[in-house]
Amino acid sequence: MKIIIAGAGAVGTHLAKLLSDEKQDIILMDEDEEKLSKLDSNFDLMTVNASPTSISGLKNAGVAGADLFIGVMPEESRNMTACMLATNMGAKKTVARIDNYEYLLPKHKEFFSQLGVHSLIYPEMLAAKDIVDAIKMSWIRQWWEFCGGALVLIGTKMRETAEILNVPLHELGGRNIPFHIVAIKRGNETIIPRGDDTIKLHDIVYFTTTKKYIPYIRKIAGKETYPDVRNVMIMGGSRIAVRTTQYVPDYMQVKIIENDINRCNRLTEVVDDKVMIINGDGRDMDLLMEEGLKNTEAFVALTDNSETNILACLAAKRMGVTKTVAEVENIDYISMAESLDIGTVINKKMIAASHIYQMMLDADVSNVKCLTFANADVAEFTVKNGSRITKCAVKDAGLPKGATIGGLIRNGDGILVTGNTVIQPNDHVVVFCLGMMIKKIEKFFN
Amino acid sequence: MINIKMIARIMGSLFFIEAGFLILCSFLAIYYKESDLSAFLTSIAITTGAGIIASLAGKNAEKKISRRDGYVIVTFAWVFFSLFGMLPFYLSGYIPSITDAFFETMSGFTTTGASILNNIESLPHGLLFWRSMTQWIGGLGIVFFTIAVLPIFGVGSVQLFAAEATGPTHDKVHPRIGVTAKWIWTIYLGLTLTEIILLIAGGMDFFDSVCHSLTTAATGGYSTKQSSIAFFNSPYIEYVITLFMFLSGINFTLLYLLFLKGNFKRLFQNTEFHWYLGTVGFFTLFTTITLICTSPFGIEESFRKAIFQVVSLQTTTGFISADYMTWVPVLWSLMCIIMFFGACAGSTTGGMKCIRIAIMSRVAKNEFKHIIHPNAVLPVRINRQVISSTTKSAVLAFTFLYIAIVFIGWIVLMIFGVGFEEAYSVVISSLGNVGPGIGKCGPSHSWSGLPDAAKWVSALLMLVGRLELFTVLLLFTPGFWKKH
Repeated sequence: MKIIIAGAGAVGTHLAKLLSDEKQDIILMDEDEEKLSKLDSNFDLMTVNASPTSISGLKNAGVAGADLFIGVMPEESRNMTACMLATNMGAKKTVARIDNYEYLLPKHKEFFSQLGVHSLIYPEMLAAKDIVDAIKMSWIRQWWEFCGGALVLIGTKMRETAEILNVPLHELGGRNIPFHIVAIKRGNETIIPRGDDTIKLHDIVYFTTTKKYIPYIRKIAGKETYPDVRNVMIMGGSRIAVRTTQYVPDYMQVKIIENDINRCNRLTEVVDDKVMIINGDGRDMDLLMEEGLKNTEAFVALTDNSETNILACLAAKRMGVTKTVAEVENIDYISMAESLDIGTVINKKMIAASHIYQMMLDADVSNVKCLTFANADVAEFTVKNGSRITKCAVKDAGLPKGATIGGLIRNGDGILVTGNTVIQPNDHVVVFCLGMMIKKIEKFFN
Repeated sequence: MINIKMIARIMGSLFFIEAGFLILCSFLAIYYKESDLSAFLTSIAITTGAGIIASLAGKNAEKKISRRDGYVIVTFAWVFFSLFGMLPFYLSGYIPSITDAFFETMSGFTTTGASILNNIESLPHGLLFWRSMTQWIGGLGIVFFTIAVLPIFGVGSVQLFAAEATGPTHDKVHPRIGVTAKWIWTIYLGLTLTEIILLIAGGMDFFDSVCHSLTTAATGGYSTKQSSIAFFNSPYIEYVITLFMFLSGINFTLLYLLFLKGNFKRLFQNTEFHWYLGTVGFFTLFTTITLICTSPFGIEESFRKAIFQVVSLQTTTGFISADYMTWVPVLWSLMCIIMFFGACAGSTTGGMKCIRIAIMSRVAKNEFKHIIHPNAVLPVRINRQVISSTTKSAVLAFTFLYIAIVFIGWIVLMIFGVGFEEAYSVVISSLGNVGPGIGKCGPSHSWSGLPDAAKWVSALLMLVGRLELFTVLLLFTPGFWKKH
């Protein structure tokens, strides 16, 4: 598949590396030669040093034969222009990164399609959705719904109170449990567990289950003492913060702390009345205490500075806030932040990249989420008639090591999968795998 | 640090490839029923054995190639290819000294074309073919060949490509390096086959046409005749070979665009190609006029001899259709200067390459402007794109090193007892992968008269020059082997 990525910024380079490891034909365009030269000599991709909005530049990059054109430059308007040019010059599908909520409204989809911009991606909005998911269930580190919630994925950290520590999984399974453990994150290592693995203290365990059993998982994970989130404090009035306030459920009270008075004034124009905006430094503990940090259940740090976010979350945790969320844009810091006990780490780049990655998968995958912590991918497949996986029970199908089926959705009902389950055509199957193995696994379902 | 297991594993696969080529040559020995068959069989057994050992040593290797590993693999691939490649010459007794056999093979793989043989015609067909084959494999690069045929390198192929490819910048014709390699080899094969047909049409016999085509496309210069192309005494053959030497000196990416995409514009707008065409044109004109004035040749013959020698030396091929040592001395020096230049980056030629000369001459020109307009911002543009200062300084560093190595090599060879002009020309010729020198190492002599030590130095210079200085010299820097 020939993919042209316009813009060698953070999202563009991350995506280019990801896809080039996947053996796709990647052409990366940017005007800045220095940004390109590093990538060119280290990764299996081609770079074109030209403006993605110049017609000759696009021609040079071979846009006429491109299967996918991805505009991820910093400016929304240039992305749109580049996508329009690319479509008219022969690119089959285009994706543009945008900054404007209006464009995403369903009624405009047709209009943009006609212009030649087939898909839009708004990383800030995706990040905001993730944040809200994370704080809605404060005891959960990761939360993901499949097929409108028929099946859910929960990631949570094991503390001393957990009931399932040090028991081999096949013994747990013997009790006919209503959940399936699909991944364990221990230190920096991600394990797709087999029967004889055990859960240890401080592991992050990822369960798939159906909604009615969530309280049961909360019980066995020993998380019943966690309070529900009613008060949220957001540090840094970034675009993600604005989008977050939009998605927060009505019962939550939100306070945004922002240092820049001009930005505060601007924020008052774009957020609802129920959101209180406070002008001050989010690192000032006195200010936070005055604003009721003690009564706050969730603290979200969204400043431009990853280090500030990590430290502020740690301080908040010390003050007794149970749920912390930090935006960490530096990918290398993510595992560090996680070992420092920050509840949820948000990374705009990875969210955007995995979203685009999902778009280009040719199978009927409707949801791929890159688990930021776990270095694992979650993919949802619709099983085709006559595919390999339907021919025998799951345990005999020969799925590669490092991949497991988390569950399936049949006629809208979530069903958990055991070794003896036989998958039928048209089931929605949720698969977990290490690294970027999805391409390999696709074959089982097509 | 260095991933020794992975290096061994890749080396193992490379040895198998070399064994494959040796098997090809042994078929010739069988076909012609000549005495070199047993030497080939022993060489195949040794090379395959080494391949098996290296592959076993590389079992369960971590599949990762770092930048350092890339440089180690490329350099050692060339050294080991020469070591195993010399076996047929040595074992068959046609080149009884190890020094000579290694020199001859290294000269082959690096496409230098300098020979120590004094009676080439006496060699059996198998060995003659193997001699030409080494140049053909080495022309585009041993590792590059492997990238094209085997997907063994995985992610690391980019690092290996960077360590072996020539020129200050690398163009790709396709986003994936493996596919790029396949296309480039297709062009290479196409050039070779076309030349074979044209040479046969000119009356050369099949075996000689194949051997000469292999070494022309590689700009190597090994001939199956002691007197090189002069042996055939045919204007047609000389013009055909001149054309193909010239084509092989063009950047293969541009040839790909020209032949497979019909894109003439990219070639004729290419700055480096302008320089290549310009320098070849100027040197040919100069030599032709000098020959008309000072030699008994007619106009056509002067032109033919001039263009053949100029193209042969500038593309660092080293074929000879006339002994330029019999010409006036000003032309000897001119030939040495031509050897410095080289043709285009991304081709099979050696030398400094026109792109570097182009960049440096613009840097120099800017310096003059800069004195008059001290505040002017003066970009260096190549193909309408501004060259970054990193590329500029890389080119300047390369040039400095190149000249420094010439001087050091010159002194070292003279310490070993080589004469003044011989030492000078041997160094330039080896480093530029050209072939002939001047004086007693000139076109009508072989290099067998050099002392053994001088042959080893020369072989080292060939490798250093072929891998564009840094790849080999890097291994001699202490920092390369340090952990931090």
